[in-house]
Amino acid sequence: MTIEEEPRVGVFICHCGHNIAGAVDCEDVAKAAADYPNVKFSTDFMFMCSDSGQALIREKIQELDLNRVVVASCSPRMHEPTFRRVVEEAGLNRYCYDQVNLREHVSWCHALEPEKATVKAKDLVRMSVARAALLQPLEIKTVSIAPHALVIGGGISGLRAAVDIGSRGYKATLIEKESEFGGHLRFLSVMYPDNENADDVIKRLVDEAKSLENVTMLTNSEVVDLDGHIGNFEATIKNNKTGKTSREKVGAVIVATGFEPFEPVGYYGYGEHSDIITLAGFEKMRKKGPLRRSDGKSPKNLLFIGCVGSREEGVKGHEHCSRYCCTAMAKAAADIRDDCNEVVLLYNDMRTFGRGHEEIHREARSKHVVFSKFGDKKPKVKVENNEIVVRWRDVLSCSYMEYRPDMVVLTTAMVPPKTSEELGKLFGLTHSADGFYNEEHIKLAPLTTHTAGVMIAGCAQSAKDTTDSTTQASGAAVKAVSLMVRGSVEIESAVAAVDDTLCSSCHTCVTACPYGAIAMGTTSNPPRAFVTEAKCHGCGTCAAACPSKAITMQHSTDQQIKAMLEAFLEPSLMQESVK
Amino acid sequence: MTVAGEEIDYSRMNPAETALVIGGGVAGMQAALDIADQNFQVILVEKTPSIGGVMAMLDKTFPTLDCSACILTPRLSEVSRHPNIKLLTYSRVTEISGEAGNFRVKVLKKARKVIEDKCSGCGECVPHCPIQVKNEFDQNLGYRKAIYIGFPQNTPLVYTIDTDNCIKCELCVKSCEREAIDLTMEDKELEIPVGAIVISTGYELFDVSKYKRLGYGRYKNVINALEYERLINASGPTSGNLMRLSDGKIPESIGFIQCVGARDVQNDVPYCSRVCCMYGIKNAVMAKELQHESVKDVTVYYADIRAYGKGFEEFYQMAKKRFGVKFIRGRVGEVVEDPKTKDITVFAENTVTSEFLKNKHELVVLCPGILPPKDLKELAGEVGLDIGVDGFIAIQHPASNPVDTNIPGVFVAGCAESPKDIPDSVAAGSAAAMRASITLAKGGAL
Repeated sequence: MTIEEEPRVGVFICHCGHNIAGAVDCEDVAKAAADYPNVKFSTDFMFMCSDSGQALIREKIQELDLNRVVVASCSPRMHEPTFRRVVEEAGLNRYCYDQVNLREHVSWCHALEPEKATVKAKDLVRMSVARAALLQPLEIKTVSIAPHALVIGGGISGLRAAVDIGSRGYKATLIEKESEFGGHLRFLSVMYPDNENADDVIKRLVDEAKSLENVTMLTNSEVVDLDGHIGNFEATIKNNKTGKTSREKVGAVIVATGFEPFEPVGYYGYGEHSDIITLAGFEKMRKKGPLRRSDGKSPKNLLFIGCVGSREEGVKGHEHCSRYCCTAMAKAAADIRDDCNEVVLLYNDMRTFGRGHEEIHREARSKHVVFSKFGDKKPKVKVENNEIVVRWRDVLSCSYMEYRPDMVVLTTAMVPPKTSEELGKLFGLTHSADGFYNEEHIKLAPLTTHTAGVMIAGCAQSAKDTTDSTTQASGAAVKAVSLMVRGSVEIESAVAAVDDTLCSSCHTCVTACPYGAIAMGTTSNPPRAFVTEAKCHGCGTCAAACPSKAITMQHSTDQQIKAMLEAFLEPSLMQESVK
Repeated sequence: MTVAGEEIDYSRMNPAETALVIGGGVAGMQAALDIADQNFQVILVEKTPSIGGVMAMLDKTFPTLDCSACILTPRLSEVSRHPNIKLLTYSRVTEISGEAGNFRVKVLKKARKVIEDKCSGCGECVPHCPIQVKNEFDQNLGYRKAIYIGFPQNTPLVYTIDTDNCIKCELCVKSCEREAIDLTMEDKELEIPVGAIVISTGYELFDVSKYKRLGYGRYKNVINALEYERLINASGPTSGNLMRLSDGKIPESIGFIQCVGARDVQNDVPYCSRVCCMYGIKNAVMAKELQHESVKDVTVYYADIRAYGKGFEEFYQMAKKRFGVKFIRGRVGEVVEDPKTKDITVFAENTVTSEFLKNKHELVVLCPGILPPKDLKELAGEVGLDIGVDGFIAIQHPASNPVDTNIPGVFVAGCAESPKDIPDSVAAGSAAAMRASITLAKGGAL
């Protein structure tokens, strides 16, 4: 499906409000582009992505019979799908479109040098025009979606997701590595904001999941391998008790692998005195009965310390705020207050931001829990003659404080589970600086990931409380369900293609591919490399590595890249292409 | 998507396959998309002429400084083009009866006096309109005509005539080549059967003029955060040039005052509004980013910095270290205007250093908290929805069922439930879509 007629390129330069026009003279760029070879139309516009911008592209394609379109705007990450759709609506193949990134690559990074920025913008547009002339239509392909979802992690998020998928009428397999469901909620007593028993919350969801025929619940199990691609994953699940493995074909995956409570070794005398415990330890004890010191007596002077392992600038994996802890700590302090003589709570900022959280904070204060802000300088905890001594500076009264509590509760950070990196590799997930998994887009796509068909929910995405986790879980479930309802999904066609006649069976590409998308075929002898297109990310590594030049990176062919370089280095040589 | 010329008979929608989403902000749009993607029909009702909600008014978003319009626009067109979503903008729900699986909803579709199928959004009519009024979308800082769109990405891209201000001169009618303007158009009442409902009616900002001592409404150079967003926005009234309202000068020194109408029992807003710390910091960073040479001092007055979400704490640290934004812990007692220079003096206590401050700023931005929309109570009364003491929609089991209301088949998303930032609203929109689609799939049972 090649276009034989001469290229007729339309160029559209976007101001993006001030974002681009603030540094780049868009009008000037559009004027320059009008003279580039094959360009039949060139203009600039306030917002190309707006409905009127899109309408303009469609109109010009039809009016001037354009067969290639270049939009110079923002990063293609957000709007390439928009403009691909626009050209398609006007009757072109979506791969006859090219996008130039004038915002991230030009205006934002050269904001102080508008003249040079404009020169660079012209260079980039000229290169794109040269490439556009060589773009060819590609066939649009789809893959089917198996009507079965895999939910990894049987904590509150995983339970919620599995129940939703099952209730909606689709098959879900829920996998938990421990022998029980409920995750960290199993160790909590009563929960904020409505004082519900954590056990009751778990029971409600576990009962519901059990009542659903199409939900399979596996304990003591882990995913040890995942093969395949969106719609057709094959997961290898290992039962750690029996050692047996089984395989499950699923269409979508929800990763709800949660967090690990930070073990504050080396912090505030933890481990040096048995009455210096974590909030998790405090909760475990409260769940079983009343709070007791190691000598069996109930503590009288209790001190909480917040931000243990959280908000530590420069400490890798501990720079983030753990989000749940301020409210959890305020609640614990308020709940225990009446059993003690004094409860002191040391904090940096009180982040009781959620619904009903500020009320808990206020309740603790009204019960005369002593709140003291330590600011940037963390308190010091010493064990002197088996007595705990805490010293800190209360920044609000500007005074140095000393307190001798008979128990210290450290409110520790939520950190990713130790296995998270390994598991991430299995699913092709990347990590943000805090170690949690990256979402597809931090604002508008918090539940999907860069691996199509793999969703994240709850603390796998970042530290958060139960309400925010179950919200994400239902949200991730709907993403999986939508895929299954549709039954098939379009995949990217800008993928590698192997020319059988040139392949020398050397296996170089198989090892070069970071996505496991190339394998050696079994149908011919000697075997030829073949690409699983749904797994290919179009990175081009294989094409560069292939010693026989048997692999073409479609939509970024050598010829296209060469044309761009020529256009950059020798603009005078750019010519009208004659086919 | 409404195909030109095709009249939809809403009364014949099949309730077993149709959901209603009330409110076209970022949460409602997400809910609509996630329901529609399952091949159900969605009626999305929005009271203003365009979907997009408050997010459409914002300039940049925290913590990545992504431009709001840039990331929202594809979402707007996705909604408007979705074959399973019927957009009813400039409309409001007036009545709800029935039960899960079979609600009957009355929607008042206000006459926009422009035929949606005919208007191409070309804007030819605008220069002909002699009436100029303040533009609500620009927080009344800019102007629009009586025939208008609020912003360039208005979705649907259809003009609206504001009946209150139109003088019926008919100049626009004559100017429109497509004959899209019909001044005789009347409000229409639609009755629509639906199986499930998602409420995503968003929020209102606290009226900061209630704090007399903070000078809003009395001093021109005391503005609220949403006004600031419009002032720094390229498609806003000043084309993105930050200036003070008294004299158009670029302010050299800006003070941001946090928690105005949040965490204040006396003003009946005892709760935290969850987003203000971060949008305050973001706006402070933007002042430095936009006018790096002119803006010398940016100070944030706060109570606690609640940088809780993913990447927030890191952003807060960056604001301090890289952008040199000053943070002062202390609620502001009073602000006073210099009658000559119109500069604003902020009286506050720095509670960390125990110093009393008298800081002069050329511009002061009040960061208001979030309130439930005024008409939420009325809407809730329609269906017998429980409302919490904070005025937002109550949830039965916050830990396990965070989007389920007390009425089966009615779900809540985004700020209608309580203040939330964009990603949390989006996640809640998806969650409500999940729950609503279960109701539909089960024919009303849950």
